[in-house]
Amino acid sequence: MKIVPKKGFIVGMLALFALCAVAAQSATLVFGLSGNPDTLDPQKTAGTLTFQVDKSFYDTLVEPDQTGKIVPALAQSWSISPDGLVWTFNLRKDVNFQNGQVFTSKDVKATLDRIMDEKMASPKRSEYAAIKSIRTPDAYTVVLTLSQPYAPLLATLASGWSAILPSELIASGHNFAAEPVGTGPFKFDKWIRDSKITMVRNDKYWIKGTPKLAKVEFQIIPERAVQVQGLSLGSIDALEFVDPDDLPMLQANPKVTIKKELSSLIMVMAMNCAREPLNDLRVRQAVNYAIDKQTVLDIAYGGGRVGSTFLDTGNPYYSDFSSLYPYNPDKARQLLKDTGVGNREFTIAVPQNYPLHVKAAELMQQMLAKVGMNVKIQLMDWSTWLSSVYTGGNFDFTVIGHTGKLDPDGTLAGYGAGKYVHWYNATAAAKIKEAATVSDFGARKKLYTDALEIMAKDVPFVYIGTSYRYVGTRSNVFDFRMTPSLDSFDFRWTELR
Amino acid sequence: MALRRSRNVLFSLSALYLFLLVTVAIAAPLVAPYSPTDQFLDRRFHAPDARNPLGTDDFGRDILSRLMYGARPALTVGIVAVSIAVALGGVVGLLAGMGTRLIDQALMLIMDSILSFPTILLAITVVSFMGYGLVQVMVALGIISSPVFARLVRAETLAIKSEGYIEASRALGTGPVKLVFRHVIPNIMSKVIVQSSLTFAQAVVVEASLSFLGVGIQPPAASWGLMLKDARNYLMQAPWMAIFPGVALALTVLSFNLVGDSLSERFNPRLNEAR
Repeated sequence: MKIVPKKGFIVGMLALFALCAVAAQSATLVFGLSGNPDTLDPQKTAGTLTFQVDKSFYDTLVEPDQTGKIVPALAQSWSISPDGLVWTFNLRKDVNFQNGQVFTSKDVKATLDRIMDEKMASPKRSEYAAIKSIRTPDAYTVVLTLSQPYAPLLATLASGWSAILPSELIASGHNFAAEPVGTGPFKFDKWIRDSKITMVRNDKYWIKGTPKLAKVEFQIIPERAVQVQGLSLGSIDALEFVDPDDLPMLQANPKVTIKKELSSLIMVMAMNCAREPLNDLRVRQAVNYAIDKQTVLDIAYGGGRVGSTFLDTGNPYYSDFSSLYPYNPDKARQLLKDTGVGNREFTIAVPQNYPLHVKAAELMQQMLAKVGMNVKIQLMDWSTWLSSVYTGGNFDFTVIGHTGKLDPDGTLAGYGAGKYVHWYNATAAAKIKEAATVSDFGARKKLYTDALEIMAKDVPFVYIGTSYRYVGTRSNVFDFRMTPSLDSFDFRWTELR
Repeated sequence: MALRRSRNVLFSLSALYLFLLVTVAIAAPLVAPYSPTDQFLDRRFHAPDARNPLGTDDFGRDILSRLMYGARPALTVGIVAVSIAVALGGVVGLLAGMGTRLIDQALMLIMDSILSFPTILLAITVVSFMGYGLVQVMVALGIISSPVFARLVRAETLAIKSEGYIEASRALGTGPVKLVFRHVIPNIMSKVIVQSSLTFAQAVVVEASLSFLGVGIQPPAASWGLMLKDARNYLMQAPWMAIFPGVALALTVLSFNLVGDSLSERFNPRLNEAR
């Protein structure tokens, strides 16, 4: 007797196979983005949103790993001459662009020429100013000759704006702003302004076995409440920044996972060192003793690691000096009495578009009041803060956060020679300047540690610390990676299970 | 008759509420259980209980105390703003009514221009020039509310000017100033009082709105608008932070409006019968 499968059975099995195929293909990660990128051309903008999206389309010669250390990417190795002037990069040989073109040294030269071109008017152009010439002796070697030693250039080459573009498309005047084409793990699909940006897996990506996802969809959701709702209900799979105020609700949700990571922000209360009596070190010391930094971090910023000098606490160049000014209100009172500050009214200027800073200001105002200082808070909008406080120098205290940079020079350049705190220290300034010319990590670390120690002792700031950053994902999302100092997301190893 | 009685009850309740509010505002340091700015960081987000009858906020501050102290800026702004508006608007209205056609038109043009702007927008603009703070808010509101009084006073002045007894008085040699004080002002007082209560209500709301937007009272001072601003982020975890200042604001505005309505009916009963 022949066994003939029923028609229904066959249809059922086919449907099941189809469903499986669809399920395997539809591993789409939906990501909530806080705004609309102004352009997708990495050389035309300084906007973080652009680089957050472009990270999936493009690669760079080198890239930061999860700890912030710079590791090979499109360049598998590199060497810097002892005088710091000649940088040689050896490129990977197995990389193709998403349009099929083979990646060679020609593309690196064309990319760098483009961003250094005055006519491009790239906001990041000055970071490449040290490059005097670019040579390509063969298809997989690039030699940069610098006009002076400039160590931060490596960090620049690891940043989103150094994304490598295909030379043929540069030559043909391709519109990179609307249609990215790179060597990255995902291919551009479409961009519906104010709605979403979609991308599909690049099957020929040079890291074998990645990316794991078939598709990524960036949904543009500017309202915080909508983002949080989306994550709670599952219409978005990942959110890059969860406000500490929303944590309790999301943590209570079993389908949501919150990851806590140290950000690269430097939260400070800056003091105007040119103003009486803040020019007196003892007054600045008193202010530092009066502040309970961990409490400010916990209540205003959602937790974090207390700082002690002007660098993010997770930075490989950071050193801890927190034994210098622990929380000690009695000592603060004593110092204030000695210096005779009395009832002089101080103002804390706060940009009111940052509610976390406003909260921190309220906390610190109370702490200072407890040691007898007469402090008022003054809210202002962002543009007023920039013109009046940051450039105008018209403030006593101000609460602000400095975004972390991949290279410490990005944070420290210029300090010791004024900046908005009007703090002058020739030794510190000299060390910071010298550290930018040295390439060896050990040597740089020594110089920066010396400069940071001076800043830790002389306290032109109250170093509140580095806050935690909360990333929210659905519990079926695995290996979602963020590079804190660049604020960008790495989807190569992320998968949905 | 029943309508009148219920109107009386509403008037009485509103007046009582406002009287209590003023008392609490004046006596706040004596009546409030805590200081409005004292932070108790170990008692944040506590729901109403024995120690904090209305709960605590995100800094552990007592909401009842903040509510009581918050009555001060609300009422102060109202009083000062209305005073400025009556003084400024009254003078302009009198000048326009008593003066020549040219003066009248010029002054009313200015008043109409101010009137044509949306209130909050104008308030924000004025405050942006003068800086953020309580005094600036009061002055801004006073200026913005003056056109209403100007029109009111002008209309009354013009009406009275053409009355028979005024002509007779003038014929006897009474100067314009005496005319104003003896005849015009007594006649417009009732209307001004009614309008004042309505403007007071508006002032309270605008102050709360400006503080809510961050351009009015500065933290950590207690103001109902500021309390609402802080409460916005915690509606899920600590709804009492928003409920109590919101109710206080609503009751205050409602009371002023009801008092204004009742006064209006008392002074002009003919108007209301026609309704």
